[in-house]
Amino acid sequence: MEKTFEEALNELEIIVKEMESGTIELDTAIEKYTEAMKLAKFCSEKLKTATDKVNKILTEQGELKDFEIEE
Amino acid sequence: MEEKYINITELNNYIKSRFDNDEFLFKVYLKGEISNFKNHTRGHLYFTLKDDNSRLSAVMFYNNAMNLNFKPEDGMNVLVEGRISCYPAQGSYQIYVEKMETDGLGNLYIEYEKLKKKLESLGLFDVSHKKPIPKFPKKIGIITASTGAAVRDIMSTIKRRFPICETILFPTLVQGDGAKENIARQIKKANEYDLDVIICGRGGGSIEDLWAFNEEVVAYAIYESKIPIISAVGHEPDFTIADYVADLRAPTPTGAAEMAVPTVLEINNLLNQYVIRLNKNIKNNVNNNFIRLRNFKNSYVLKNPLALYETKEQKLDNYIDLLNKIIDKNIKEKEHKYEILINTLKLVNPLCILEKGYSLVKKDNKLINNNDDIKVKDIIDIKLYKGNIKAEVREVYNDEQKGIN
Repeated sequence: MEKTFEEALNELEIIVKEMESGTIELDTAIEKYTEAMKLAKFCSEKLKTATDKVNKILTEQGELKDFEIEE
Repeated sequence: MEEKYINITELNNYIKSRFDNDEFLFKVYLKGEISNFKNHTRGHLYFTLKDDNSRLSAVMFYNNAMNLNFKPEDGMNVLVEGRISCYPAQGSYQIYVEKMETDGLGNLYIEYEKLKKKLESLGLFDVSHKKPIPKFPKKIGIITASTGAAVRDIMSTIKRRFPICETILFPTLVQGDGAKENIARQIKKANEYDLDVIICGRGGGSIEDLWAFNEEVVAYAIYESKIPIISAVGHEPDFTIADYVADLRAPTPTGAAEMAVPTVLEINNLLNQYVIRLNKNIKNNVNNNFIRLRNFKNSYVLKNPLALYETKEQKLDNYIDLLNKIIDKNIKEKEHKYEILINTLKLVNPLCILEKGYSLVKKDNKLINNNDDIKVKDIIDIKLYKGNIKAEVREVYNDEQKGIN
């Protein structure tokens, strides 16, 4: 399953902190760096291509239906 | 003629008795506004009740005033219960107030204060109970009226700032009959969905309009919600009970949406920060490793591998020198000892003694060291260092005797 934006951002934050927290072997660091850059790219792509999420309303019948605000 | 006249006291007492015997005046219910309010030092309250056209003096004695659950003030609208009578000394009629409560808003205000105090003491406002609001919510629940400014403000703000976020609207009455139950029910309903945060509120209005958010049932629904709730009731500076119980209080519906979601710009900045930090970190890491590597490469040993042997050679030489010295010393010591030994040997060698001029005397091939065995005319052999002598004894004597020669 594809990561959500939030999951990716959280992972990114964890890796950045991990890398800054001490000396990491170069191989591991490069691996993590690559992973982190992928996550950063994923996040910013998500933001760029973010189409408006459909807003829902809970009806009295207990169903979720699309909801559009009247501007 | 004089009998026609009565004095003032008599008149006022008569009037007072008419008041006191009127059953309609024995208990009256009035509503009006307080003015000229005076709190006498002895605890009795004196004031005027008025409406737009008329006024009436009022007194509330201490034994009744002590039961008041609010502090009367000028301009306050009140509902009073009491009897009308006359105060003969002044010739004025007035109401003797037995009960008084605030009318309308005032009443609500007291209820509000009471409930606030109660819920506060029960811990519903405790900071320790407040849940953190997630930074990047995926799904937001909105509990408000499905029409009107509040829902529009909230949804358009979310859409503008953080369009990748989903919303679910839980429509509810926000004022009037059934509003409080409706709000409480929708909060419970919203807790059945995997929401990250709930915005609960409505736009501004009069204190009566906002009243549902001051109700205990709503307060408890907010308190019991597992999902963090941002309250957004009315507009600053109205503070409802819901605002106190909520995990976060927003001044307006728009404000609530701003608190619930970050802006894309904020996230982009954060992402950029992360990338900068990552780049810096990996660069440092590579650099550090490079420097270490260079240091190793430049090390004396790696640059001059022969040096490894040079030092060893030198050491070897040193050891050999040392060994030689030890052996030399040993040999010299031995030689010295040998010389001493030789010298000692020389001293005890009889031949050596002869060399110094001593002689051996033998008779019949027996060494003689005592003249007892010797007689005159005996033939003796004398052995010198070099050569031998055969001699005839002419005299035998001891050291103390003088020889003949």
